[in-house]
Amino acid sequence: MERILQFLIFAIFLVGCRKDELKKMDGPLLADLNSKFSVITSLKASKDSVNFSTNESVYFNAEFSKVATWKLEIIGQTSGAVKEITGTGSKLTSNEASWDGSTTIFPVFRSEICKARLTIEGEDDTLITTVKVNQPKVNSGFVVADFEAGFNSGWSSFVQAGAKMDFQIKSDITSPQGSGYLNMAGTVDWDWLIGLINFKATAYGNKTFPLSSNPSNLFFNVLVWGEESLVNSLVLFQFQEDENGDGNFSANSEDMYSHQITINWVGWKLISIRYSDLVSMANGAPAAASGNGVFEPNKLMQINMLHLANPKSGYAKSKLDYIIFTQNNPLKP
Amino acid sequence: MKIRILILFTLFTSLVIAQEGKKVQFLGGARSVLSASDFLTDEKDTVTVGKTTGGYALIDLGIKINPNPRTEILGMFRINNSFGGFWGSDVTFGVRQLHVKGIAGKGIRYQLGNIDYKLSPYTCYNSNPDLILPSFGTTSIKEQIINYESFYKSNTWRQQGAAVDFILDFSKYQDEVKFKGFLFRLNPSNQGALFERLYGGGSIVLKHHKNFQIGANLANVFDVRGTALNNDVYRNQVATLIYQYSHESEKLNTELSGESGFSNTFSTEQINSNLKDYFIHFKWNTTLKKTGWMFEVSYMDNGAEFRSAGAQSKRIDYNQQNSYYQRYTNNQILRPISYYDLYNDPSLYAMEFSTKLMDFNPAINNVLPYGIATFNRRGAYFSVNYSDKKERISTQLKYYRLGEIRGQGTLALRKFDYFIGAINFNPSAVFHWKKSQTVSLALGYQHTNRDSQFAQEAIGLESYTFNVGVSCEILDKLYFIGNTFMFKSTGNETLPIRDSKGTIINFQASTISGNEYCLSGGLKFEFSKDVYLSIFYEHNKNSFMALNPYQFNQFQVVYFMKF
Repeated sequence: MERILQFLIFAIFLVGCRKDELKKMDGPLLADLNSKFSVITSLKASKDSVNFSTNESVYFNAEFSKVATWKLEIIGQTSGAVKEITGTGSKLTSNEASWDGSTTIFPVFRSEICKARLTIEGEDDTLITTVKVNQPKVNSGFVVADFEAGFNSGWSSFVQAGAKMDFQIKSDITSPQGSGYLNMAGTVDWDWLIGLINFKATAYGNKTFPLSSNPSNLFFNVLVWGEESLVNSLVLFQFQEDENGDGNFSANSEDMYSHQITINWVGWKLISIRYSDLVSMANGAPAAASGNGVFEPNKLMQINMLHLANPKSGYAKSKLDYIIFTQNNPLKP
Repeated sequence: MKIRILILFTLFTSLVIAQEGKKVQFLGGARSVLSASDFLTDEKDTVTVGKTTGGYALIDLGIKINPNPRTEILGMFRINNSFGGFWGSDVTFGVRQLHVKGIAGKGIRYQLGNIDYKLSPYTCYNSNPDLILPSFGTTSIKEQIINYESFYKSNTWRQQGAAVDFILDFSKYQDEVKFKGFLFRLNPSNQGALFERLYGGGSIVLKHHKNFQIGANLANVFDVRGTALNNDVYRNQVATLIYQYSHESEKLNTELSGESGFSNTFSTEQINSNLKDYFIHFKWNTTLKKTGWMFEVSYMDNGAEFRSAGAQSKRIDYNQQNSYYQRYTNNQILRPISYYDLYNDPSLYAMEFSTKLMDFNPAINNVLPYGIATFNRRGAYFSVNYSDKKERISTQLKYYRLGEIRGQGTLALRKFDYFIGAINFNPSAVFHWKKSQTVSLALGYQHTNRDSQFAQEAIGLESYTFNVGVSCEILDKLYFIGNTFMFKSTGNETLPIRDSKGTIINFQASTISGNEYCLSGGLKFEFSKDVYLSIFYEHNKNSFMALNPYQFNQFQVVYFMKF
């Protein structure tokens, strides 16, 4: 026992003789952080032009004399689209400031010249450079509707006969993607429903939408507009599955999942939801599914989009664009 | 529907009770809290509603079933009703606990489901570095509620998974070997970028005679490859050696014990951010049997890159917002987390440990913000305890003298002094009164210092925490309880700002100056040891936001029951 004890004490002191770390430190040097800020290398793009449609990317370089919190804004000169990248550090490199053509503030980027503006918190310096987008980013996924080619004859719709009704596809510069979008507006004082569109799989030449069978890997995405000072719009999406493959949907024996969006923001916003996070609803409340209760996106035969508003709330307005299913991740427009 | 299920389940189990006798038992707890608060600021505040009332009643109903003498099944439901919500509104139902445990074969104990688990102070251990002082009087009622709500039981973390343990007994050689193994799920995969994260490990401890034991622990946090759409899996591996040797004589007990080990933390795709380090911690203590004195001397050296998720996780992450008077003043500024919130808001407390380094408040605990396993600390600490055999008085004193091993943003190192002392005085035992009277006093002091010729590197921070509590039995089972709690901190500190991987990317210099005190008093009636009703009033004042000091007055009624 004494030998064990001696060995233990020896081992403890052996390990205890840690080599000094007096010449090591964690983090950036405080002396540098408290020194005067200066730009060592000005902002520069890694390439003059970029083709995002072929998965190219561009990154930005800059170097400062000390660690700083910075914000890089890339602004489309034609579209007005904005991409924001923020960080803290003394350098911008491909690790911190790489851009794949995605958008932070809609609309999405087009083929255009973009201005990159770098600002540093607490400093007056603003660094600017430009980069040309030869081809914008192309998103992979199944596009249900981007409203660029007007109303698909395979869809069906219903619009209430209310006041100031404006339920149609429009084309102008406010579109967040392309030039077309669906405008939905009007006053219906006797019903929640203002208008609806049924997007049928047959409109795309299939009995069911060409989606994977794994609901956990599939995301439904849509761009939704919130009108300033109007917070009464609801958009309800219903997903009808043809479980028995007979080409019809039976509400009593087959699953219909829903996702209701309460629009309480201003401007365009991307809404993404995993297919397996959809819920079965009855009269706006969660309810048991009518069918087998299994999420089967490969059996999805119709998507219903309903624009709703409380009939007492008066005029309601919203817009939709770029309805798309993506695989593995939510849409990164 | 839920109510129906519960009623059916209760009826069913009642029938089983009638039929099976002791095979089914009910256990659980009930609590009701009613409070009325008044919030005041020096500045004219026309936005914040100062007076609020609230409360709730909840019951935790557990059913323990023993289908055979070697198996136990426990399910516990919670029904919570906020006051003001009747006939179904503001009523929530939930499952609080589910587990199966038992003994397989000749003595392999197993448990599945919710498990309260700990291993050793450097592997899996739920330390409490924020409530640094023992609680008495009203603060003990509050801490009891927090511990109950957050499943904190003697430094365990609530986990979900499976655990086994068994002992091999070699009586012939007066030896035994204890084995423990566990596998818990920390988070599920989201089928996207988030991995399935598990926590697994175990221990082997050899006990020789009664006075020597040596063992090894392993605790490993790991992402399961293939459960997310990338290959950058996280690993935190901790392996330690534990040892204990004790010697007992007629007059004294002496013990040498400790734990040493290493950790390796990395992401497989970012090998450059690998953190690897070791620690050593040993203590020697002696108890003088006849006098009741205990002395302890300890040494610790926790490397700067030592990381142990299960031991360094905090109960409170200061990077969150209060749920109680979250904003105040006409500018609706955020109210920082104070000691008042630490004692009153269970929703601030984490129920599971984190693999990220949590934010801490240097004013409250700058010396060991992540518990005894805090990285980048080296030094010694000393303890003196005294316990009077007639239970008239007991004291616990502890002093740490620690320092950093590696500088942060500079080569200069911080040095720390940390003292905690507590005295419990029992006049009833001194004067042979029949009714129970206790006076308790605790003091915490911390000092951080970093000398430097450069002003931006120099640090000096001092904190005092003080708690005095009384509990006087004035009538049979009826107690007067009261507390004076004070907290003061002044100085400056430069806190690191870390990225998502825990690497320091910047520093935030802050000046700290303020104090907080809380006076409280009331009555407590004990129906039995685990059932009481308490009514108390408290006044809390906080000046840590120099321009916007505030104060609370609060009245609370608390009913607590465990059965």
